[in-house]
Amino acid sequence: MTEQNYFEDIKEGQELTAIKISPDKAQLVKFAAGSGDFNPLHFDENFPMLKPMGLSENIVHGRFKYAQVGRLVSAFAGYKGRVKNFGVSYRGMDMLNKEITATGVVTGKRQEGGENLVDLDIWTENADGKKTTPGTAVVALPSRG
Amino acid sequence: MADEFEITDDMRKQFGVDSEPWTYEVTTTSVRMYARGIGSDDPIHYDVDFAKAQGFRSIVAPLGYLGTPVFLPGRNDPTFGFPRREGGPRLNIPFKGLLDGGTETEYLDVICAGDVLEETSHLADLKMRGKMLFVTNESVYKNKATGQVVAKQKLTSIHM
Amino acid sequence: MTEQVYFEDVSEGEEIPALKKNCSTQQLVLWAAGSGDFYQIHYDKDFAQKTGLPGLIVHGALKNAFLGQLLHDWIGEQGQLRKFGCSYRGMDVPNEDILCRGVVKKKYADGGKNFVELDIWTEKPDGKKMSPGTALVTLPARA
Repeated sequence: MTEQNYFEDIKEGQELTAIKISPDKAQLVKFAAGSGDFNPLHFDENFPMLKPMGLSENIVHGRFKYAQVGRLVSAFAGYKGRVKNFGVSYRGMDMLNKEITATGVVTGKRQEGGENLVDLDIWTENADGKKTTPGTAVVALPSRG
Repeated sequence: MADEFEITDDMRKQFGVDSEPWTYEVTTTSVRMYARGIGSDDPIHYDVDFAKAQGFRSIVAPLGYLGTPVFLPGRNDPTFGFPRREGGPRLNIPFKGLLDGGTETEYLDVICAGDVLEETSHLADLKMRGKMLFVTNESVYKNKATGQVVAKQKLTSIHM
Repeated sequence: MTEQVYFEDVSEGEEIPALKKNCSTQQLVLWAAGSGDFYQIHYDKDFAQKTGLPGLIVHGALKNAFLGQLLHDWIGEQGQLRKFGCSYRGMDVPNEDILCRGVVKKKYADGGKNFVELDIWTEKPDGKKMSPGTALVTLPARA
């Protein structure tokens, strides 16, 4: 269980607690089951679409990486916080069994419409540190007050 | 072909056109499967009693999961599951290459197991960047029981 | 919709319409999703080979489900499946035909119901029986 974050305690520049995952084939098959995206690109190494794309391995669903960023933002918001929005762009492929790190940083905090909002830069990066899924999020946090 | 492509007024006319609605179900089983699919072990996605003790109606849908579209053979895509609908914007895009460009979700409420959502989609943005066409569709999800919009999700595809 | 089959029209020794299946790797993953059986020998070739298998194999329970579909299609809306089962005698692989077949073994009326017993099985393209089993169904009467 992660501890609840409160608005007062958040500082600009603060880093989020990273989530690391190296999705194996079972993980991607379970993601296919959960998401309903059954594209064999993600689980069948003989899928004919791989070669024309210059690939010899299955690639991770973009939406899987989006979901890892989702886990990161959820953990930051805690059960009392609310995620207002979060989005990413897909800038690069990640391969099966390779480590993906979802992390982020606080870029701003503000009060608006009675809510305590925190702006975040979020992304996933591969083992070489390349950001393959950059984006932003806005989270409303509870106040200690 | 890509050299000659430009966004036409006919394409821009598609902005206001809504697709027919489709039902998305958020069930305890589907939430748990999605949570397993993303590798989460947060009990908020699995344990109904725990989620209720935290003040939620039931287990909470992981971020990015807005339910599973009802699947009807012949009407949904057999690989991706999404509905192939009547109505909605029609673009005649001449490019063969297609990439998933990005996903953005705006939440107006928390989505929990037991929710039944009605989704409609429309064209939200069209732009050229160099020789690539970026098409953004926005889906609006309403809770069927309350009629309230609970989330909006933008999906951007890159055609080239 | 298939036409309804009636008890009077069925004779012992008769073969019911066969059902041909051919599982893509995607079908196996769909079955994993539907059944909740995520054992990797059905979609991860490297894993399957590490366990000593030649490659991916079809879930036994999926073949059982295909036999259920064979019976469902035959008995129609008014028939009832009372029981069916099969044993798994060999491995089937993706992208190879699996032919589901059944033969009427016995028919009898009991307690106002019209029972039909069948032998059912799946077979490989070379005719080898893979999943032999039996089924008991009831069918409506024309009368």
